[in-house]
Amino acid sequence: MSLESLQRRFLDAVLAAPEPADARLAVYHRSARMNRGGALAQAYPVVQRLVGEAFFGEAAARFGDAFPSRSGDLHAYGAEFATFLARYPHASRLDYLPDVARLEWAVHEARHAPEGEAFDFAGLGAVPAQDVGLVRIRLRPSVRLVASEHPILAIWEANQEGCDGTPAIVEGGQRVAVGRTRSLEVVPMALAAGEWALLQAFARGATIAAAAAECERAGEALEPALRGLVTRELLGGFEAAAR
Amino acid sequence: MDAGAVGIGLRAQHYAELLERRPALAFVEVHSENYFGAGGAALAWLERTRAIYPLSLHGVGLSLGSWDPLDTGHLERLRGLVQRFEPAFVSEHLSWSSVGGRHANDLLPLPLDEEAIRHVAGRIGQAQEFLGRELLVENVSAYVRLGESAMPEWEFVSEVARRSGCRLLLDVNNIWVNAANHGFDPDHYLEAIAPELVAEIHLAGFERTQDLLVDTHGAPVAEEVWGLYARAIARFGARPTLIEWDTDLPALDVLLAEAARAGAVAA
Repeated sequence: MSLESLQRRFLDAVLAAPEPADARLAVYHRSARMNRGGALAQAYPVVQRLVGEAFFGEAAARFGDAFPSRSGDLHAYGAEFATFLARYPHASRLDYLPDVARLEWAVHEARHAPEGEAFDFAGLGAVPAQDVGLVRIRLRPSVRLVASEHPILAIWEANQEGCDGTPAIVEGGQRVAVGRTRSLEVVPMALAAGEWALLQAFARGATIAAAAAECERAGEALEPALRGLVTRELLGGFEAAAR
Repeated sequence: MDAGAVGIGLRAQHYAELLERRPALAFVEVHSENYFGAGGAALAWLERTRAIYPLSLHGVGLSLGSWDPLDTGHLERLRGLVQRFEPAFVSEHLSWSSVGGRHANDLLPLPLDEEAIRHVAGRIGQAQEFLGRELLVENVSAYVRLGESAMPEWEFVSEVARRSGCRLLLDVNNIWVNAANHGFDPDHYLEAIAPELVAEIHLAGFERTQDLLVDTHGAPVAEEVWGLYARAIARFGARPTLIEWDTDLPALDVLLAEAARAGAVAA
């Protein structure tokens, strides 16, 4: 048999859903599943804590059957876990779970994102007043935005190490920005409606003038919202209008 | 690097303690893929570690022996790390992990035959050319033999090294595990390897299941493997040696004690 056929047959057996009867083949089956399951647990510790290790292990195995790993770098594995959980019948009563998973993937991505430039106060100050409205501010490359009709940040925070799992009382959903501090700690934070509108607009590449209009439509003035985003290190460099 | 150099595999849990205590270690080895991100804390820790210790980059995901085309994105990220951190060694496994775009994320065995030698030696050559430096390849533990596997493993490993012009990262524990699982004499394996092909040695722990030894990297180096290591050093001379531990990671002191023991053998 050719090398290619040997590899295809062997991989099919290693990745098959049921564990192979052959004890030697089963070593590979278990080890491959453990490596992928471990990577998933590292990216989704809150989901794991919410459902327990046994449930998580089973879900991870089924996820692996539905979404095979496509990279030799396991950090890339697990992006579709929220999509999977939304359709996973055993999790259907935990309607907040897929959004908590989306938040965890955002945190995971933020950990490995490039540094990017800091917000450029001096540069922005040097833009002529009549052109400021045409400036387009970029988000820091580590920033991720996750909105949910569930209090996902309260759930996430209550399930960090050393917390007992009881979420703070939050009415309704939360809009969360995931950012990274100068000391490289990844921090998700809840945003007010205006801040959220601003970030969404900047993420789309809108000008300050257009973003301000959306911020005001959300019921907030531009300046305090912008200041909030700058203080929390969510904004990066900018592009002035081409003249 | 000094022939008697001894190092440990470094995992994230031990960063802070290692940098605080700065124990005498000749080098540390990390899994390359853990630093494939574009930024963030992992790279910052590695930078601080590299300022103190020589580094070895040990890959687990390149899938060198795969029938799929070499993943140039993977190689580019590896090359970026090589350029940034100037490691003493860059190594990968003499195995494959993926085919048809699907990855097992595990080290799967190659058939021990001429087609596999030709294929993997060519790929090692490509990878070395891409990286612009030597890649050490490691003999893996194997629980099955694929295909006809017409030759002994030591012949396969030596021939791959000779044809690709790379040297070996000889994992002495994997030799022991394979000898037990496939029924050959581990000393015969050592005798068949040319000393000039051995650039680095790995030591790790295995675990015993009903009929198999499984290379879990989750236990101390076994006494039998310490014995085989001493005979390896007697044959090859001292070689930079690394203690690997990946699952059920113990306290840093446990790794340092294993490293000290390896140092005493090589002295």
